[in-house]
Amino acid sequence: MKADLVASPNAPGKKKREELPLKKKKGFLHELITNRIMFLMLLPAIVFFLINSYIPMVGIYYAFVRFDFNTSLFNSQFVGLENFKFLWKSGALGRLTLNTFGYNLAFIVIGNMLAITCAILVSELRIKWLKKLTQSIMFLPYFISFVILSVIVYNMFNYETGFLNTMLKTFHMEPVDMYSKPIMWVFLIIIFYLWKNLGYSMVIYLAAITGISEEYYEAAKIDGANIFQRIWFITLPMLKSTFVMLLLFALGSIMKGQFDLFYQLVGNNGLLYNTTDILDTYVYRSLKVTFEMGMATAAGVYQSVFGFVLIMTVNYIIRKVNDEYALF
Amino acid sequence: MATKRKRFISALLSVFLLITILAGCSSSNSETKTDTTGTSEAPTTTDKDTTSTTGIDTSKKVELQFYMLGSAPKDLSVVEAEVNKLTEKDLNATVKFNFTTWTDWEQKYKLLLSSGQSVDLIYTAEWTQFQAYAKKGAFLPLDDILPKAAPKVQAYVPQDMWDAVKIDNKIYTVPATYQEYVTNGFVWREDLRQKYNLPKPVDLASFEEYLDGIKKNEPTMMPLSVNSDVRGNLLNLLRELRGWIGGPIPYGVNIQYDKPGEAYSYWGSDEQLQDLETIKRWQDKGFFSKNVLNVKDTLQDPVTSGKAAAILGDNPTRYNDTNNKMKSTHPDWDLGYTPYATVTGFATPVHPIHNGFAVPASSKNAERALAFYEKMVMDKTYNWLTEYGIEGKNFEVDSEGHYKMLGDSNSNGFQREGMQGWAWRNPEFMLFDKSYDGVDAIFKELDKVKKPDLYLGFAEDYTAYQAERAALEQVEKQYLFPLQAGIVADVKGGMETFMTKAKQAGLDKVQSEYIKQWNAYVAEKGIQ
Repeated sequence: MKADLVASPNAPGKKKREELPLKKKKGFLHELITNRIMFLMLLPAIVFFLINSYIPMVGIYYAFVRFDFNTSLFNSQFVGLENFKFLWKSGALGRLTLNTFGYNLAFIVIGNMLAITCAILVSELRIKWLKKLTQSIMFLPYFISFVILSVIVYNMFNYETGFLNTMLKTFHMEPVDMYSKPIMWVFLIIIFYLWKNLGYSMVIYLAAITGISEEYYEAAKIDGANIFQRIWFITLPMLKSTFVMLLLFALGSIMKGQFDLFYQLVGNNGLLYNTTDILDTYVYRSLKVTFEMGMATAAGVYQSVFGFVLIMTVNYIIRKVNDEYALF
Repeated sequence: MATKRKRFISALLSVFLLITILAGCSSSNSETKTDTTGTSEAPTTTDKDTTSTTGIDTSKKVELQFYMLGSAPKDLSVVEAEVNKLTEKDLNATVKFNFTTWTDWEQKYKLLLSSGQSVDLIYTAEWTQFQAYAKKGAFLPLDDILPKAAPKVQAYVPQDMWDAVKIDNKIYTVPATYQEYVTNGFVWREDLRQKYNLPKPVDLASFEEYLDGIKKNEPTMMPLSVNSDVRGNLLNLLRELRGWIGGPIPYGVNIQYDKPGEAYSYWGSDEQLQDLETIKRWQDKGFFSKNVLNVKDTLQDPVTSGKAAAILGDNPTRYNDTNNKMKSTHPDWDLGYTPYATVTGFATPVHPIHNGFAVPASSKNAERALAFYEKMVMDKTYNWLTEYGIEGKNFEVDSEGHYKMLGDSNSNGFQREGMQGWAWRNPEFMLFDKSYDGVDAIFKELDKVKKPDLYLGFAEDYTAYQAERAALEQVEKQYLFPLQAGIVADVKGGMETFMTKAKQAGLDKVQSEYIKQWNAYVAEKGIQ
């Protein structure tokens, strides 16, 4: 359905673009009056974003001043980049950026690939109750909080009484101390993330698949296409726009780590920080006890600017390659 | 027609949406509500006498926001309603008791003070960074308001205590007058010690022997209870046993009680190496979990449930609580206690800063807040209500004047000091459980070797090195915590790595600045 909408008005769409300058001459006010109902319907969304996203942006200025309880924001002392200093002072900024970026990239790429695969598999299931059951089972972990996840993980891997080591001991094998093996946690964290979020992203793709018209498949069947060919030539191309959109949304926050996940699983364990520390946990640890508003804001600004640049670049590339898939 | 109606409906809908969004933003909604009810009731409730006795203007009804750390007791709403009956009469105000819970309380505390939210009374202590916040101007100076709003408290708290809590010569908090000790001591299972005929822990060596014995005789038990805060529950305690000045001195600076003028770096010293090796040895012997950095239990819970057999250090009051809690489920178990004073030879009673209440700078009702706080401290009805709950429902006073909890810890909705009422304790009204006699005996012992706390009046100003400070915190967690948990095979090598990383982060600058400020404080106060 979605593909239909995108495909059919292709030609008139181009025409519209040519007409646009003509329309503009009549002025914004004219546009406002003719489409007043439309604008009225847009207003709540605009107000919502104005209040929740645009006005708070003034707070960015906190990153450049020394926070003071007694004066207002703009009367505080301007300190330039001093608040950003703590980010690189411990020599960890490069590693943190890499970790945050790397984990999120893995989450996005592997997560989407798995979600698409599972969505296709589930959609091909012909027994109705089995389909529902699989879907529910995959969705359930999404509701488990990270705190509980951390308890589960601790009870699986702790050295003395953990599930893994008790099992190893019964088979007369050497127990493993997971909590001192930084490399293992790269995989563990990705696995647990996927386990928790797979069901949710799968549902999005499942919905997109349901939206593909049956006619394509029937026509393909008549032409003698087998199931793999049908998936490869019909389902996957049809999912492309959904995938690109989700990708772009995810990229914007690629520098914002999954704080709960990392904080709960790793906590105070310094041994694992080299591979598991992300910007969010670092900032939390550095500023937890004290109230350096300036420094906390500085870290947020760094993340946002990074995300902004990234999403602009990727969107630009996508627009060059295929205009229709770009966000804006 | 149909399209017109549709258009009308959609227009109406979007208007509704807009209104809901805007309504979400207005915070003044509830305030106006209380205001209107206030004015309608004002003629009946404000009586002239209270206005004249308190000396403050109580003509306008207000709601005071009271903030305490920790979790709220179950019966809070009942107690709050009772208190509000009194306050409406006395002060023409209602009080809302808010609690942060212990989860991420540091974060919440910080936000309460910096977000501009209206908070009228908030708990302060050295471990909530009172000195630093006060220095930065987060609280209102109380010097001028006290005589007007809370003259009784001002007279009741001794002058030397007011002097002790002053930061830059201004009073920012109302200190608690109850003198107690929160110095640490060894806690162990006395019944197991007797059963296996182990030595009584009186110093580090005998404590270790006891742990050895437990490990041998009770293989399923963890000898020592430790959680992920290894700095707080292992290393700082070893340092306290060495007779440091007390209070968690940051950045690896060490100050010995007998030589306060000679601060030096503990990090990188032989003392540190020794302590880390002790911890490593304990770890190797299996006294606590290899994954201690991921343990999230409290220190006390494993002991009361019988999973662990000792705590390296806890204060007398909490030891007593733990013991009582344990005995309520396992009457035949027993805990023993030796205060560190037997090793160090001295004990410091709490500094007045240790428990207090301050009025944040964002408060609009400072006078009323202090007047209410005065009631909580000086008025027995208020005090008992907020410390012990409702008499006859939550507690009763037995014939000897002891506190008696009604029901057990599960059924009673407001246990003794259920609102974490440490700060508004009034020694004259205080009720103690019979079992508290044990704590009292410890306090009496400690009184014999009492020395004043020299450290807590010191307020550090870290503006000059805040970036280094934050970076250092990171290095400490990453490189020092594993050492303090005893899970690094090569202690000496690990220490060297830590020192190099710490120096890169600016350790030298932080330490020298800190010591400079400390020395200035020592000189100013004339501490030898």
